[in-house]
Amino acid sequence: MLEGPSAIRAVLDQFLDQLEACVPALRRYARALTRNVDLADDLVQDCLERALAKRGLFRSTGPVRAWLFTILLNLHRNARRSSLRRGTQVDIDDLPEMATPAPQPGHIALAEMARAIETLPPEQKEALLLVALEGLPYQEAADILQIPIGTLMSRLGRARAALRLATGTPSEPHLRTVK
Amino acid sequence: MTPITRDMLMAYCDGQLGDADRSAVETHLAANPDAMAEVALIQRQNHAIQTLFAPAGAEPVPARLKPARLAEAQKSRRWQTLQRAAMITALLGIGMAAGWLLRPSGDSPQLYDRLIADAVSAHTVYVAENRHAVEVAGDDSEHLSTWLSNRLATNLAMPDLSAQGLTFLGGRLLPAPAIPGGRAAQLMYEDRGGERLTLYITPAQGVDGPDYEKIAFGADTALYWANTLITCTIVGNEQPETLQAIANTVFSQLSPGQPAERVYRG
Repeated sequence: MLEGPSAIRAVLDQFLDQLEACVPALRRYARALTRNVDLADDLVQDCLERALAKRGLFRSTGPVRAWLFTILLNLHRNARRSSLRRGTQVDIDDLPEMATPAPQPGHIALAEMARAIETLPPEQKEALLLVALEGLPYQEAADILQIPIGTLMSRLGRARAALRLATGTPSEPHLRTVK
Repeated sequence: MTPITRDMLMAYCDGQLGDADRSAVETHLAANPDAMAEVALIQRQNHAIQTLFAPAGAEPVPARLKPARLAEAQKSRRWQTLQRAAMITALLGIGMAAGWLLRPSGDSPQLYDRLIADAVSAHTVYVAENRHAVEVAGDDSEHLSTWLSNRLATNLAMPDLSAQGLTFLGGRLLPAPAIPGGRAAQLMYEDRGGERLTLYITPAQGVDGPDYEKIAFGADTALYWANTLITCTIVGNEQPETLQAIANTVFSQLSPGQPAERVYRG
């Protein structure tokens, strides 16, 4: 656990490599959260700067990726809260009306899906994108969001049900369980 | 056989299941068109999300998001801060430098910057003292170790640097208002030519920032590092390589262990 100064140098280089490997995923996730190229990259830059400044707090050999996503999400939430206070957020009621249900069953119009994701409550959107876009294991996504895995799964379930309604897909089929 | 729940279908679509659960779900799907429709729907949703947002991850990364570059920029900002502080120290005295470092500002220096600046200030003040350079002399090293360990709430051993030609003079307790414990320890050493070197030690709790930093202050060099328990800033006018070697020795001895493993040497 305790290392000498020269060993610490090597640890820093390794840390920078680990950060760099996570940048594409952070950009992708930030872009999906903000739907804005510049805002997303600002968010990733803030996240990396924060991680560099606080790397003293990240001394363990734990996963850097989960830690970075947690930082990014906190920054995103703070930014969202302050823009809500300033009143610049677009109200959901002002969003363009949902398109009519897709004519072909099984087809999901992308624009419609994008709008539907925008209308999800933030905590559902954050969870859904970690799993469906980033492909993270449930446990890692739950750790990032700092919630139990059961809460994560119920958010995913609600998010998907909401998307199903908003994209005009027929109501959910009955499910039976087999013994 | 475990029942196939909706959560399991979702986990199946998200690629979260192990081999056994996955084949159980697949068997279930083959016999249940409704479940199959549910799975197909979730898969279409996942696919749509990927189609919408995945391309952003394949774009070339702009230079401003390169971690090595961001680290360099941060370092040079800190450097400028400390260099200016060093210049003010030289021109106007230590109090001004401390005041400048603590100034309210949007780009206020981080805690560890203050610790380095405080270490240099304390070094400048006390190495110039002859009879009162230390509060407790080095020949009572065991008492010094117990006392400072108690005051800093951290186990501290007094490093033996005689192999580097340095005699332990002793140490003192200093106020460190910037950090949670509010106290720092200074240990002083002297070489055969009478040149002095100090260690400035604080608990690491509440201090973030880098683990390692080396900064030249005029003729002196300050070498800072932190681990999970302590931060230590070595200040002296040795060559950087010599200081680095001393730092490695200090580190191996100062690293607080269990009381039984402590090094008590004069």
